Amino acid sequence: MNSKGISTAVLTVFAVACLCIDSPAQDARTIVKESFNYMRGKSSFSVVDMTIHRPNWERKMTIEAWTKGLKNSLFRIIAPAKDKDNGTLKKGKKMWTYNPKVNRVIKLPPSMMSQAWMGSDFSNDDLSKTDRLIDDYTHTITGTQTHNGKKVYLIKSIPKPNAPIVWGMQKLKIREDLIFLAQEFYDEDFELVKVMTTLQIQMLGGKMFPKVWRMQKAEATDEYTELNYKKLSFKENLRDNLFTISNLKSPRR
Amino acid sequence: MSVDTKMAWRNLWRNPRRTILTISAIAFASLLLVFMLSFQFGSYETMINSSVKIHTGHLQVQSLGYQDKKSIRLVVPDPDAIAKILDQIQSVEAYTFRANAFSLVSSKKRTYGSMVIGIDPVKEEKVSTLKSLIRKGSYLAEDDTNQVLIGNLLAKNLKLNIQDEITLLGQGRDGSIAATVVKVKGIYSSGIDDLDRNSIHMPLKYFQDVYGMYGAVHEVVVTGKSLKDVDKIRSLLSIFIKKIKKHPLVVLDWKELTPGLLQSIELDLVSGIIFYFLLILVVAFSILNTFLMVIFERTKEFGVLKAIGTTPGRLTKLLLIESISMTIIGIVAGIIAGSLITLFFQGHGIDISGASDLLSQFGISGRIYPRLSILSALIGPGAVFIITVLAALYPAFKIRSLNPIEAMTYV
Repeated sequence: MNSKGISTAVLTVFAVACLCIDSPAQDARTIVKESFNYMRGKSSFSVVDMTIHRPNWERKMTIEAWTKGLKNSLFRIIAPAKDKDNGTLKKGKKMWTYNPKVNRVIKLPPSMMSQAWMGSDFSNDDLSKTDRLIDDYTHTITGTQTHNGKKVYLIKSIPKPNAPIVWGMQKLKIREDLIFLAQEFYDEDFELVKVMTTLQIQMLGGKMFPKVWRMQKAEATDEYTELNYKKLSFKENLRDNLFTISNLKSPRR
Repeated sequence: MSVDTKMAWRNLWRNPRRTILTISAIAFASLLLVFMLSFQFGSYETMINSSVKIHTGHLQVQSLGYQDKKSIRLVVPDPDAIAKILDQIQSVEAYTFRANAFSLVSSKKRTYGSMVIGIDPVKEEKVSTLKSLIRKGSYLAEDDTNQVLIGNLLAKNLKLNIQDEITLLGQGRDGSIAATVVKVKGIYSSGIDDLDRNSIHMPLKYFQDVYGMYGAVHEVVVTGKSLKDVDKIRSLLSIFIKKIKKHPLVVLDWKELTPGLLQSIELDLVSGIIFYFLLILVVAFSILNTFLMVIFERTKEFGVLKAIGTTPGRLTKLLLIESISMTIIGIVAGIIAGSLITLFFQGHGIDISGASDLLSQFGISGRIYPRLSILSALIGPGAVFIITVLAALYPAFKIRSLNPIEAMTYV
C-alpha cells in the first residue's frame, strides 16, 4: 500500500471511529491512535492517587490532572500537604514545572521528558500519554488474544530510525473496544525494562476505563508505581488559558 | 676456576676498550630502565593520591548498592558511629561526610540536571583539595546556609557568576519535593570535566534540611596517611561495619570508586612497556653487533684454536661465558647506579615546575617522587639480561661452522 493509500485509509477509519467507537480497526497505527483518542477524550479532568512502592518504603500522592487534545496537559499535586501545589505543565514538546516553596517556574530541558516524574516509575512522557508513541513508531499487529470475551490486538512498535526515543521497542495490548491493556518497554537490546498494565476496567466518566494503571520494573516485582483514578470526567472542551504558565503558578478553578 | 672460564676472562681484557664499551651499553640500558620504571611507579602514586584527593578519597563507606544506584534512600544512617571507628585507626589521615542528590538546577535562563553534594566545609578541607580548586569567589564557611560552590563548566552553561541565584529542584529522602534557592559563593575548576560540569557543593547541614536527610549521609570519605595503608584500613573498617546489622554498609577503595583511574594507569603502563621493549630491542641489536664484530676481529684466532683441536662445542661455550659475564657485570653496574640515582631523586623529588602551572590545576604539586622497589629495580635489567643472552647465541653458534684453513688465512 502506498503512503497516500495509507493516509486515506487512516482518514476513513478515523472518521468512522469518531462516529462509532466500536468499529473494527485493522491497521495497527489506527488502533493505537484511536485508542489514544479514546483514553484521552477531547479534554479530561481527573483526580488520581499515585502510590510509589519500593521495598521497605511507600509514598502516596494525590494529583489533579487536566488534558486537552494530544498536546496539552497540566498536573498539580494536592496531597500530601508538604508538596501541595507543585505542578507540571506540558504544551507540545515544551514542559515547565512549578514549586510553590521557592515560587519559581522552571522550564525543563527536552531530555527530561524521558526522566521519571517525581521519583515514580512513570516518565513525563508516560504520564502525559504523549502522542509520540503514535507518530515516532512503526506499528505492526503481531497477533490477537481474548480478554473477557473481547478481542485483544498485540502490537509491536519499533521506533522510526531518526526518532528521539530511548526505547528499542514497545509492545502494546489494545482491546477491540480501544481500551489500553498493557504497554511493555524494551531497551535497545530488546530486554524488557518496565511494564505498564491496566486493571479494574469499569464505567468512569461515562465510558469504560481502567481505574488502576500500574507501572512495574521488569527486574524487581516489589518496585512499582500505581495510579488509581478517584475521579474522571471527559469534557467537550477546556479553556485554553488553563494550560498557561500563570495558571500553573496560581490555580484558578 | 676452570680453564675455559679463565680463558674467557683473559679474552675479555685483551681488548679492554671493546669490553668496556659493551658493558657500559648494557649498564646504561639497565640504569635507564631502573630509573624510568621507578619514576613511572612514583608518578602513579602521585597521580592516584592527587586524583583521589580531588573528590573520591582513598576509601568510602556507603550503603550497600549505593555505588551503582545512587539512590537517595540508600544512606549511612549514623555517620558518627563510623567516625568513632575511624578515630581509633591510626593510619587514617582524615575523613569527612557527604550526601548527594540529583537535582534540576536552574538559573534565570537555563536548566540543567546536576549532582548536588552536601559537604562539611571544615572536614572536607582536610580530605579533598576542593578549597584550593576555587577559582572565583571563596570557599564555604562553617555556618553558611544557602550558599553553594559550583563547577566552572556548569557555571558557564547556566551563565552564572558569583552571588547569582540558582533554583534547585529535586527529591528528598522521604520522596517529597525538595526545592530551594541558593547563592553562588564560589566557582571551582578541578580539571575533571565530569565534576566541573555536573556538581554543586552546599553545606551538609543545609543539604540535610532541604533533602530531609534527618542526619544521614551517603558517603563517609576517608584518606589514609599513604597509599599503602589503604588495604589495612579497609580490612579494619570492614570488621566493624559487619557488626552493624540493621543497615548493610560496604567499604569501597579508590579502585572501585574510580575505575577510570585504574584503567588510565594500566593504559599508561602498556604504552610504557612498549617504549621499554623498543629500548631493550635497540640495546640488543647494538650488543649483537658488538658480538659479531668480535668474531670477525678474532676469526684468525678461532681458526688457530680449531686447527689445534678445540671442539666447536668448547668454542661456543667460551664465547657464551664471555658474553654472559659481560652482561652480568653491565647489569649489576646498571642496577647499582640506577638505584643510587633513583634513591637520590626519591629523597629530593623531581621539580616539574615548568609544567606545574598546568599540573597544579589538577591538584598535582610541583614535585614528582620516583619510588624504588625490588620490582622496578629488577624487571628492566632482567629483560635486558634475557635479550642479551639471546643476542649472544647467534655468534656463539655461528663459529661452529668455521673452516680452520680459511679462517687462518683471514686477514
